[in-house]
Amino acid sequence: MTAYREVRVRTPLILKILPVVSIAAFFCLWEFVVRSGIVPETMLAAPSTVAELFLVKLRETDPDGALLQQHAWVSIQEAFTGYFLSLAVGIPLGLAMGWFVVAEGLARPVFEIIRPIPPVAWIPLTIFWFGIGLPGKIFIIWLGGLVPCVINAYVGVKMTNPTLIQMARTYGASDWQIFRQLCVPSSLPMVFGALQIALACCWTNLVAAELLAADMGLGFMITMGRRLAMPEMVVLGMVMVGLTGAVIGIVIDRVEKKLLAGIRR
Amino acid sequence: MLQEGGSTRQKIEVRNLTKRFGDLLVLDDINFDVADGEFVAIVGPTGCGKTTFLNALSRLIPISGGHIRIDGQDADPKRHNISFVFQEPTCLPWRTVRDNVAYGMEVKGVPQQEIDARLEKILELVGLTQCAGLYPNQVSASMLQRIAVSRAFAVNPDLLLMDEPYGQLDVKLRFYLEDELVNLWQKLGSTVLFITHNIEEAVYVAQRILVLSNKPTKIKAEVKVDLPRPRNFLDPEFVRIRKHVTELIRWW
Repeated sequence: MTAYREVRVRTPLILKILPVVSIAAFFCLWEFVVRSGIVPETMLAAPSTVAELFLVKLRETDPDGALLQQHAWVSIQEAFTGYFLSLAVGIPLGLAMGWFVVAEGLARPVFEIIRPIPPVAWIPLTIFWFGIGLPGKIFIIWLGGLVPCVINAYVGVKMTNPTLIQMARTYGASDWQIFRQLCVPSSLPMVFGALQIALACCWTNLVAAELLAADMGLGFMITMGRRLAMPEMVVLGMVMVGLTGAVIGIVIDRVEKKLLAGIRR
Repeated sequence: MLQEGGSTRQKIEVRNLTKRFGDLLVLDDINFDVADGEFVAIVGPTGCGKTTFLNALSRLIPISGGHIRIDGQDADPKRHNISFVFQEPTCLPWRTVRDNVAYGMEVKGVPQQEIDARLEKILELVGLTQCAGLYPNQVSASMLQRIAVSRAFAVNPDLLLMDEPYGQLDVKLRFYLEDELVNLWQKLGSTVLFITHNIEEAVYVAQRILVLSNKPTKIKAEVKVDLPRPRNFLDPEFVRIRKHVTELIRWW
């Protein structure tokens, strides 16, 4: 039946061109500002210098002691361990808080007190508890990712259309059935939002954790760049943090679109 | 055409139904019976507590007094097959049309084989077979309401409550869907309580009309509609009943 044919909407050409233009313009301007001497090279490295260092760092461990990919790999491992742990704890907790009165009553007050404390403030305690190894950093990253997971999952459940819940009740659905069949799926867009936000938080806190206590990782590389007075290394570390974060964000966006075919228009 | 009103077995028995919100008495000692397979419409002035009345019947809200019995047992959504079609669409956006229609049966624990069989029948009856695989955001508003109606009929309800299901649709579509509703009811033999503020609609679909009074709500009158189907809006008897019900509502 033609009336129900699926229609594909194509991205307009302009939306394909403009991002390329804006990125190109950004790098050109940056290069120009440094090359022309408006900003001295001791304060900011030009993109071409950073690119050069990028190629060098793929092969040489000097002067910071590890290859670029080793730094990146360590960071990714830390970030993802912390990230997945925060998803594993935060999302179920938030979902439960949104629907089950007991969970909300018990967890909400504690959560509200912990929530405003920036994860960076936990670093000293973390060093007492775990030293400067991997567990400590993962703990900081985990804390950073936890908050958006809990909040989004909680709000997602709270936003479940009450008429849908009434509808399910008239069919005799139990609390657990309503939670599983209505609240959880209807919170999914918010939960997927949390995946993005939590990742950003984890990634941010990763750098913070590594700045203070690490011997490898992108954050550590940035610190080393400062110590060695090499702005190009600082910028390379920052760009790598940005790019890696963006790539992961795109992957999550793809997964989200696939899974939520019916919910998103 | 099916013989209407043949059954005299009481299906629903409502006695002294009372509902208060704090001091506000909304439902005042309501009594009525509905026969098995009967189609009853409920009309009343705006704000007379029609929705409260329906919510009380479906046990969505606790009642303050009296009782509602289905087949002689106190009504309970977990035990009885009660279906409710709401004024606003209630499709689950993450389920396809087919899975939406199946939802009520899934909650009721109907075996999968039986679900498939009933789905096939009911989707065919309401003409949803073609778009069974689509998601709710891909079909029109009237389609959403037909999904809700199909889902309600699919559980073979002991009692089907409808709260102005077509209130938000345009006139032409309404006629069409009312015919479809009557057709479903005739084929499946469910007991239907249909709330509407549209008197013409009530006369068109129902075998009996209960007229509610203003708050505190009581049943003010009962009007039998014994007209052949499909009914004709211009039939003098149809017009007479419509005017009669209108008068009843006006005279509070």
